[in-house]
Amino acid sequence: MTAVSEAATSSAMRTREATVRRFAVTDMVFRAATRASAILVLVLLGGVAISLIAGSWEALSKFGFSFLTTESWNPVTENFGALAPIYGTIVTSAIAILIAVPIGIGIAVFLTELCPRPLRRPIGIAVELLAGIPSIIYGIWGLFVFAPFLQTTIQPFIISIFHGIPGLSSLFAGPPYGIGLLTSSLILAIMVLPFITSITKDVFDTVPAVLKESAYGIGCTTWEVTRRVVIPYTRVGIMGGVMLGLGRALGETMAVTFVIGNAHRISASLFAPGTTISATIANEFTEADGALYTSSLVALGLILFIITFIILALARYMLLRIDSRTGA
Amino acid sequence: MKPMLSTDLNAPDATVEKAKIEVKNLNFYYGQSKALKDINLSLPERSVTAFIGPSGCGKSTLLRVLNRIYELYPKQSAEGQVLLDGKNILDRSQDLNLLRTKIGMVFQKPTPFPMSIYENIAFGVRLYEKISKAEMDNRVESALKRAALWSEVKDKLNASGQSLSGGQQQRLCIARTVAVKPEVILLDEPASALDPLSTAKIEELIDELQADYTIVIVTHNMQQAARVSRQTAFMYLGELVEFDRTEKIFTSPREKRTQDYITGRFG
Repeated sequence: MTAVSEAATSSAMRTREATVRRFAVTDMVFRAATRASAILVLVLLGGVAISLIAGSWEALSKFGFSFLTTESWNPVTENFGALAPIYGTIVTSAIAILIAVPIGIGIAVFLTELCPRPLRRPIGIAVELLAGIPSIIYGIWGLFVFAPFLQTTIQPFIISIFHGIPGLSSLFAGPPYGIGLLTSSLILAIMVLPFITSITKDVFDTVPAVLKESAYGIGCTTWEVTRRVVIPYTRVGIMGGVMLGLGRALGETMAVTFVIGNAHRISASLFAPGTTISATIANEFTEADGALYTSSLVALGLILFIITFIILALARYMLLRIDSRTGA
Repeated sequence: MKPMLSTDLNAPDATVEKAKIEVKNLNFYYGQSKALKDINLSLPERSVTAFIGPSGCGKSTLLRVLNRIYELYPKQSAEGQVLLDGKNILDRSQDLNLLRTKIGMVFQKPTPFPMSIYENIAFGVRLYEKISKAEMDNRVESALKRAALWSEVKDKLNASGQSLSGGQQQRLCIARTVAVKPEVILLDEPASALDPLSTAKIEELIDELQADYTIVIVTHNMQQAARVSRQTAFMYLGELVEFDRTEKIFTSPREKRTQDYITGRFG
């Protein structure tokens, strides 16, 4: 009797061991697969960086550091400087973010805290649809509808009211072209708005109900709950949304190329035409005949890569500082 | 001639203590389902009242009616009257923010705001009072002392409220509530997520606070209700089964259902 049951137990043990061994193999395969996927990202990133550096080597070795500080971009004399596109990229993205962040957070607050239930889904879907519109459509709309509208109504008005005010008058100096830095910024703001909104909305939804209840419970208004509890609680997530939006704004090519005017110069006025890194590359790649010309365009790409990297790093650093200050 | 009708006729029956809150014919609905059925009770001033009963009996719901926090959610509604010092707080004209400064609430899970310990307390005070930095320092200190937390945090007032332990966070929440100088404090199972030591501290604190505040506590823990409260309401399936002095409820309850619950025969 005991012998039989012992035999039964030991055979059960053996099957169990076999199963465990099989699990160990699957587990190992799984681990290797996930690790390989993670390493692939690093390899791709490294590959992109290396090919950008290699491609831009000719331009960088010829112009050196002055590539970053020269405004002129002259394919005829083969004298290239990246300052204008860098300036255009940073200014248009910064203005776009300045406009889109408050509006995006506003929409998110409205949707999560104030919106009557039946309206919540339609507005939410409309915002997501905004993200789904291809950028070429923003470009066409910007060039044929939005820019003429700005040119005939908004821009003359702004130029006239700021006329004679030091600083503002040169920032908004005429003539009203319609296309230009500000127009691009506005288009970019519309394009990044859905990203910022939907991420902000999602992180707002993660705030525990009791936390909000306790803030309302000491007599806070919705504004105070949002400003002092919801936004601080979710700042990492909001920052993530803003960074995603900024990344999109920095790299956005098609829509910007349509409405920025593609002029390699830096003017104080936001109404003046300018260019961005991605717009320059898109516009000129086909006509870049000389090796130095091509290499300069690749160097622009490298710069955009580095700018994006620096901004992400800054964002991380800021978040670290905020966290260590509040001790959270 | 003055029509001298209402005041005398509506005065509560000669109770020993003045009623701070009177609940009259209160019904409460989550959408269609009725969660509170015709509740009538009167909470005396400056004493601790406990609501006990099995899960889902409506005790937390009743508590949430008292500061109208339920109104954050669209499908919840209350009918009847809740009188705070004789004034119906369920009235549409009642200002919600003002009501909530008078009736503070502490929740089951500690909910420190995402800011420093000092700011957690100063924040609520600053909403309704303009006071100098020195006064605010005093206010924060006295609130933290009140909540028996001062000695533990006085050297790290700028640290995040979220860096404290669970028990400390809960006392911070009580300090925050006290600092606004409410008249009533609602406690929704304030110690159920805490260890026995922290629980003992909270209970001591409740005992001290009743000298100045009217306190209502919802608890699952019958020993806790017996230890801290002066009167106890036993609720079951949305009804108020029995409401009496705590000793009475725990030693010689009138109702069989109360008896069954406190002796652990159901619930």
